[in-house]
Amino acid sequence: MHLFGILLRLAWRNLWRNHRRTIIMLGAIGVGVWAMIFMTALTRGMVDQMITDSIGVLPGHVQMHHPDYRDDPSISNRVSISDAALNEKFDDADFEAWASRVRVPAVITSERESRGVTLLGVDPAAERDISFFDYDEVEGRFLESASDQGIVIGKRLAETLETEIGKRIVLMSQDPENDIADRGFRIVGLYSANTKAIEQAYAYIGKTTAQKMLRVDDATTEVVFLGEDYRNVEPVYEAVTSAVDDTVLVQRWFDIDTYLGTMLGVMDGFVLVWVVVIFLALSFGLVNTLVMAVFERVREIGLMLALGMKPASILGQILIESMFLLALGLAVGNFLAWATIVPLQDGIDISVVAEGMEMWGASSMLYPKLYASDMILASGVVLLLGFLASLSPAWRASRYEPVEAITKV
Amino acid sequence: MSAVRCVNLCKTYRQGDQDIKALDHVSIEIDEGDFVCLSAPSGGGKTTLLNAIGGLDIPDSGEVYVAGGRIDNLSKGELADLRLKQIGFVFQAYNLIPVLTARENVEFVMQVQGVPSAERRDKSNAILKEVGLEGLETRRPGEMSGGQQQRVAVARAIASRPALVLADEPTANLDSKTADELMELFTQLNKHHNTTFVIATHDQRVMTYAGRLIRMLDGRIVDDIDQRAA
Amino acid sequence: MNLVFRLAWRNLWRHPRRTWLTTGAMVFSNILLVFMMSLQFGMYSLMIDNSLQIFTGHMQVQAPGYKDDQKMRQIVPDIVPLANEIRDELKSERVAARGWAFALASSEDRSFGIGVYGVEPEFEARVSNIPGLVSSGRYLTENNAAEIVIGTVLARNLRVEIGDELTLLGSGVDGSFAAAVVDIVGIFESGVTDIDRNIAEIPLGIFQDTFFMEGAGHQIVVVVDALDVVPEVQASVRSVLPVSSNLVVPDWDEMMPGLKQAIQADIGSSFFMYFILVVLVSFSVLNTQLMSVLERTREFGIVMALGLRPGKLGRLVLLETAMMGLIGTVLGAAAGAILTSWFTTNGLAFPGMDEMAAQFNLPARMFPQINLLTLLAGPAIVFMFTMLAAIYPAVRLRWQNPVDAMRVA
Repeated sequence: MHLFGILLRLAWRNLWRNHRRTIIMLGAIGVGVWAMIFMTALTRGMVDQMITDSIGVLPGHVQMHHPDYRDDPSISNRVSISDAALNEKFDDADFEAWASRVRVPAVITSERESRGVTLLGVDPAAERDISFFDYDEVEGRFLESASDQGIVIGKRLAETLETEIGKRIVLMSQDPENDIADRGFRIVGLYSANTKAIEQAYAYIGKTTAQKMLRVDDATTEVVFLGEDYRNVEPVYEAVTSAVDDTVLVQRWFDIDTYLGTMLGVMDGFVLVWVVVIFLALSFGLVNTLVMAVFERVREIGLMLALGMKPASILGQILIESMFLLALGLAVGNFLAWATIVPLQDGIDISVVAEGMEMWGASSMLYPKLYASDMILASGVVLLLGFLASLSPAWRASRYEPVEAITKV
Repeated sequence: MSAVRCVNLCKTYRQGDQDIKALDHVSIEIDEGDFVCLSAPSGGGKTTLLNAIGGLDIPDSGEVYVAGGRIDNLSKGELADLRLKQIGFVFQAYNLIPVLTARENVEFVMQVQGVPSAERRDKSNAILKEVGLEGLETRRPGEMSGGQQQRVAVARAIASRPALVLADEPTANLDSKTADELMELFTQLNKHHNTTFVIATHDQRVMTYAGRLIRMLDGRIVDDIDQRAA
Repeated sequence: MNLVFRLAWRNLWRHPRRTWLTTGAMVFSNILLVFMMSLQFGMYSLMIDNSLQIFTGHMQVQAPGYKDDQKMRQIVPDIVPLANEIRDELKSERVAARGWAFALASSEDRSFGIGVYGVEPEFEARVSNIPGLVSSGRYLTENNAAEIVIGTVLARNLRVEIGDELTLLGSGVDGSFAAAVVDIVGIFESGVTDIDRNIAEIPLGIFQDTFFMEGAGHQIVVVVDALDVVPEVQASVRSVLPVSSNLVVPDWDEMMPGLKQAIQADIGSSFFMYFILVVLVSFSVLNTQLMSVLERTREFGIVMALGLRPGKLGRLVLLETAMMGLIGTVLGAAAGAILTSWFTTNGLAFPGMDEMAAQFNLPARMFPQINLLTLLAGPAIVFMFTMLAAIYPAVRLRWQNPVDAMRVA
């Protein structure tokens, strides 16, 4: 420990011997680390938002369908468990929320236009926590019960259909016998969403109303489950799978929307690549600094060796110096990142490229997310790779022959 | 038992395309408590001999014994230990570690040896006082004169009470008054602690302090005078 | 060689390791910049091409408001003669007329609401890549044959094969009931689920008959050879339009604003990354040049004492930096070009790219596009910042007093 003490002292004092060089290096490391964390926080914020939004529309973290429903999303492929049986199974389960619904393609026709939509027969009470919009923000009103006779569509769809609240539209789909099932509805509410595409896509009616229209008693086509965190859906997934047999297909959100699932993985990869690239750009300066530091101190190193200090201690001394430099730089960088991200956490308005962000699947507000784990990852990578990069100059320093080093002019 | 014994040391350097015989069958024996001057013109082999004795340099052939133990066949690590524990060094220049204060420089060897801090502090204070640097303990080398720096180096060399102190041109960068003071210090330490001193120099005045004067030329011992007898 | 040049060159190689480490940082960044920019611009042009080639084309002739509302009655009258006129005017065959209607497509046992395009079989293949994507059966051939091609997902959902009949139900331009029975002759696969599920094409003649179009259609698609001639062609197309009509000619950016914005958003974030890289390199150069000046303080003091102006020395330092920068630029650009050309021929793929690529109509393998801009822009900027970084060390010399400088040991 005595030895370690003197090594720490030597490393620390040597670090400040050439304070200009050290400060420049600290600046470089600080900027680099700041960029690593800042960029990561933006990316995380974007992906988080994307996934949360998409899961809101999907909806749920886990879904259950008839095994053939994906290829043939028709009422024929109903969930084989009756709604009553589902209630019995899941009512006491430990989910954030769950709901069974009727989801089938349909055609909606106003006096002037027709469009294809996804018909959703929902129980408003069960879906309150799952829905991607706030019931209270619906223009007009949202459905009041599963047997509500009204329909709620997106604002954009209403524009396309040239219709409005209070007017009637006709909804047309198929019953299990493949016969046309249609019904007139009065529009009671218009919902808004982040993107126009979503506002065009869904039409909400009461679940019981839908079941009557499609003549399916109490059957549904989709059951959605919401857990605590989209990153950890396994508990929900396991709870659901263990409660059902293979007459239904249970899927996690990333099985259903593979683009989203991949996006998450790709972004994790991108974060790591970015951190490593920045580090590599820094490493040249770091190694350079160490090489210069060693070069300037050849005689001292020779002296210490001559006095009986072991080469390993010289190696350690240079490595400690490098670690000090990196640790200080990391402190600067992490602080800068924190100081710049926290004021931005209320969101950065990027609506100038809103439609472009929509293409990426992201929204027009960017909420940077500063995760401790990302700061630790960046710092860990910098320390680890920094240690490796310092090995070469440190090793060279420890290999000096004392006699030659001490007499070097 | 002799402090240092060298048998038939040879060492050849290559310089350019010329072979230089730095040591050519050198054999000497130095007793404990001796005060020896190695004198030779530049390139005469004195530094090489000193380095061989100090385990800084391995001779091509021959044997070196320090305190009765053979050292020319030791590993680098063992040599480092030997230097750390048994030998004190004073070099011509760049003797001190610039980022450490006078006291820290004196304590350096002890700290690497693992001496507890209280003991280090006592010893270093006492020795700095002995070499006449009381009050300058917290100065860094850059803030001291050449003579003061060499005193710190001497203090460091003797702080851990080595049996043998090797000094290579210790007075080369000093004015004559300071050089005299340094040599007085050496003689005193030699007397008080019975430390063996081997000093390589080509400074005539330094030689007058020596109990034994060994002259070298072209890697060979040409003269070995016991000045005390004279 | 001029003496100053020789001096600068020799000074540069006093510490070869340091010089190489500093140039190494430049080379590293330059390689990355060249590669990333080539990849980016390769990707952008693919994104644009692929997105536009599916349906949109580079510009369309439409009724005003059609691009936002896509309403049946927003028509282009006498569309076929107009399309012919445009072909004559542009001397290009890459012009095609279309109609579009929403319809309920019913097979024996399934019905789905889809978008039906009425296309000119003769010209459609020249403006869209859907005809080329027919994976089984064939594309439309006759303008008056009761035939249809549909996407793979739609075929699966409707449970139909080639040879089966489909009934199309919708409303005509006048709001009256429209119906047609058509034979499935081809099934296409674009890889984009939305297109493969929601789109069908029938000959324009049948379309006009079925939906009571009376010679009208909804859009004339024009495809050009390069993006930069779009405005010019747009003007020619406008000149052909009947004076009395209020038809408009939106270009691709107006029709798909998301595309350009997605690219802009991506450019924005990548330029942030590039900038950070360049800044880190500048730090490296600043450090090296400052060190090189500081360690020569004494030397500079002597030559200044001999009467050399500090300005000359400053220029020497800049010259050294320029030499170093040039080495970094040339090596970096060369290595970047070699690396990039390898990928230009072999393509680049990474895990998860399939899904990402499909979202943007990109192939699963990316081919960077190297040109003078992508090759030189990065290295030029790195060189510029290198020179900027050397200003402080060079200017610092002016404050130096020769006697003080010489006193430094």
